[in-house]
Amino acid sequence: MSQADVYALMPLLILAGGSVLVLLAGALKPGGYLYELAGALITAALLWSLLLPDMAVMPGLTITPFSRFFWVFLDAAGLVALLLATGYNRRRGITGEEYPATLLFALAGMGAACAASDLLMLFLGLEAFTFAFYILVAIKRDSVKGGEAGLKYLLNGTLSAAIMGMGMALLYAATGTLKLSGLALAANHPEALFLAGTCLVLLGMAFKLSLAPAHLWTADVYQGAPAPVTALLSTASKGASLAALLLVLPLFGAWHGLRDLLWALALFSMLAGNFAALRQSSLKRMLAWSSVGQMGYVALALVAAPSGGLRAALFYIVVYATAGLAAFGALSALSDRFEPDRLDDYRGLGYRCPLAGISLAVAMFSLAGIPPTAGFIGKFGVFNAALRQGETTLAIIGILAALVAVFFYLRVVVMLYMKPAVDSGELRSPGFSEIIALAVATAATLLLGIYPQPLLDLLAKILI
Amino acid sequence: MLTEYPLLTILILLPLAGCLALLPLWNCRVSARPVALGVALLELVLSAWLYGSWRELTPLQAKLPGYLLVEDAPWIPAFGIRYTLGLDGISLLMVLLTSFTFCIALLVSWNSIKEKTALFLTLMLTMEAGIMGVFLALDLALFYLFWEVMLIPMFFLIGIWGHGRKIYSTIKFFLFTMFGSLLMLLAIIALQLLHAKQTGITTFGLHELLKTQLPADTQLWLFAAFFLAFAIKFPLFPLHTWLPDAHTDAPTAGSVVLAGLLLKTGSYGLIRFGYPLFPLAAQTLTPLFYTLALIGIIYASLVAFAQEDMKRLIAYSSIAHMGYVAIGIAAWQPVALSGSILQMANHGVTTGALFCLVGMLDERAHTREIAAFGGLWGKIPQYSFFFLFFSLASLGLPGLNNFVGEFLVLAGTMKKAPLVAALAFIGIVLTLIYTVRLVQEVIFQEERQPLALADLTPRELLILAVLAVVDVWMGVHPAPLLDLIHGPVQLLTGGGL
Repeated sequence: MSQADVYALMPLLILAGGSVLVLLAGALKPGGYLYELAGALITAALLWSLLLPDMAVMPGLTITPFSRFFWVFLDAAGLVALLLATGYNRRRGITGEEYPATLLFALAGMGAACAASDLLMLFLGLEAFTFAFYILVAIKRDSVKGGEAGLKYLLNGTLSAAIMGMGMALLYAATGTLKLSGLALAANHPEALFLAGTCLVLLGMAFKLSLAPAHLWTADVYQGAPAPVTALLSTASKGASLAALLLVLPLFGAWHGLRDLLWALALFSMLAGNFAALRQSSLKRMLAWSSVGQMGYVALALVAAPSGGLRAALFYIVVYATAGLAAFGALSALSDRFEPDRLDDYRGLGYRCPLAGISLAVAMFSLAGIPPTAGFIGKFGVFNAALRQGETTLAIIGILAALVAVFFYLRVVVMLYMKPAVDSGELRSPGFSEIIALAVATAATLLLGIYPQPLLDLLAKILI
Repeated sequence: MLTEYPLLTILILLPLAGCLALLPLWNCRVSARPVALGVALLELVLSAWLYGSWRELTPLQAKLPGYLLVEDAPWIPAFGIRYTLGLDGISLLMVLLTSFTFCIALLVSWNSIKEKTALFLTLMLTMEAGIMGVFLALDLALFYLFWEVMLIPMFFLIGIWGHGRKIYSTIKFFLFTMFGSLLMLLAIIALQLLHAKQTGITTFGLHELLKTQLPADTQLWLFAAFFLAFAIKFPLFPLHTWLPDAHTDAPTAGSVVLAGLLLKTGSYGLIRFGYPLFPLAAQTLTPLFYTLALIGIIYASLVAFAQEDMKRLIAYSSIAHMGYVAIGIAAWQPVALSGSILQMANHGVTTGALFCLVGMLDERAHTREIAAFGGLWGKIPQYSFFFLFFSLASLGLPGLNNFVGEFLVLAGTMKKAPLVAALAFIGIVLTLIYTVRLVQEVIFQEERQPLALADLTPRELLILAVLAVVDVWMGVHPAPLLDLIHGPVQLLTGGGL
């Protein structure tokens, strides 16, 4: 490993080392400026990935513009989630160094997954951040729901890890290599064992992306986890998983079955997610189901991969992440010692806490795909690619499912602005860090809707 | 010269700038209202200036025939989406109608919006920007953007300041419109892809897409999607059910904008995009279009007759009146089409006035039941005069504006489809019946409930007088407006300039 390699790897080293550092600092000086320290470390990693465009190839990791883009994206999402967590955790009595340390560790895992060049590192990265989330989901130790969610996530997650591990073992058995480039060569003449392996890996990825039928954990975990954790889980972890999926896509070669599999995943996710979300009375559950639906559109874009679908998928995941951060951010800013959970609890909150109300409303419009928010451009790109690929049927089903989605997203806006508040008076106004986080997420959601060209250009560049 | 400035962009951005100007006055109702009205008036002055000087504006023969002003810039090159705005006679008339209607709507809601006034004004101005964009956009993706953007403020307007089952109505309104729009979005993308396949150029520009060669069956599918979106906005029978609900439960300003402008975006879309892009399919579907329009006219008139709520009655009459616009478009013949376009403006003014009148009565009596009134002529003569005046205009009294539009539509249609025109005449008789019933029960007859009603305030008098003057002007001397739309209509229906 040369010095240049170390420089290129620095963002990951900062995060992983920082995680340990925060743990140590917490042990030495409990209650110190741990969140600030973690924030500074993430910012450092973010700036490093942004400003020092190094490329490097090392065992297991290849740092390319693709992975650097994801590092920036993940670190930004992580930073927003950390800002949200500062106020939230203080109010809800989540203390200690575990939270910031685990968050940093999760980001390091995600970063590794996006830059992996062999299956081992990919597995390590994916499971590292999933492992971190097992802890984060259940971080509020006295919360029954949190514990239940953590356990459910752990059981489901272990199963999916086992499936993915099995798939990788099959791939190794078939080819004798774990290198992605080597496996992609073997993909030209796949044997049954090899195909079985790739399908199992895809299934494991489907779990991480909560694509139906591997989505069943989503609703419980999203609901039970603290809102800032859900914010990170629903955005950054989805982004990292998508990046990992894109890395393993070459393993399918020209196998036509991939299209059918993705087609089915897209169809089931769009329908199951959007229709199940209709029936939810808990806002977080509704958002969880809706994220299943949203991932269906990502899968639709992947079906259309040969027609520019990859860029559409990446753009979609970014705008989904900004909207998700705004939505869950608003939820965490609105929570006091208890989190309002039922949709009814949000009556009239748009007036009582204007910033959180606007963030949540903008996020809803974006998720529903209504201009001028970024969600519209995202859907536009996905459907553009799908139609160009000739997937007319799936596109029509998708757009009708989007209409269903409009209904439940609007219901949130109705609650916020059109129902009388349960009790009037100003709410505790969000803290400074929460204001920053909400403003950034909301502004990004609007800006990417009005001026998406720079991001689209960037995505075209990193996908070469 | 003013034309050196991007006037069309200013038309869209001015109301948005007004929204920003409202921010510092967020909690100050008294000073927020004049600011918003000032912005709307400024917009009116700008569009009036455009109208006054449309003959002097250099016609852009070389670039786009028939257009007076065009602005064009790349917006999202990755998708081939451009920011293309264009103003021709038809758009100019609609722009004029838009800026005028918003002034009226802001004035009519001057006192009735007591809560969250600044939010209300912001939404109104945002909606004005959106509607301006719809009438100016020449890039299909940009058009779609504005088409959706104008929905959001209306959604809030009905949902927050509405009456009755406002949430049901506003969600219904939004979902109905979205249903058509989303399919239209797919059709827009498909059209662009077909064009790209033929020419290799990715573009959403209307005038490039017009050159696409499409086989008849493809046209039919794509046109069906466009038609659905526009027919819902129109609204054509049987897609009209959102309209009575939305109108009834909307605040007065919302109803005025809904009737005056949002319905027109449907007919405008059909004239600007639907028919020119898919002429073959449009021809195939003309019988269907005629039938739905006729059913709409007769059905809505009959239903209007049975209404007890005045606002609902006028809402149904709106459906009937828009039926004439639909017939004129379906005939796709210069006279009928001019009639339709003129009728769009006429209906906006007259029905807008009627909604204002009902709103004023509602503010006083807190009911809109026809059965609650009676004998208003003796009690509030000024109000009753205007009520009678606009009712007469609505049923097409010669000398007032609706007559001109309906006459042209029917005269033109008579040439193309005599039977349709003949059947549409039945509708005029039905209009007469329900309007006379309304006027007779509300204005004349004996007083049925002792209501203490005050006559018009100066503000209300001003609104109604202005509307009445416009009504008479458009009825007596429509020639300048017909001149304005003559060129574009000739181009659309296949004649030269």
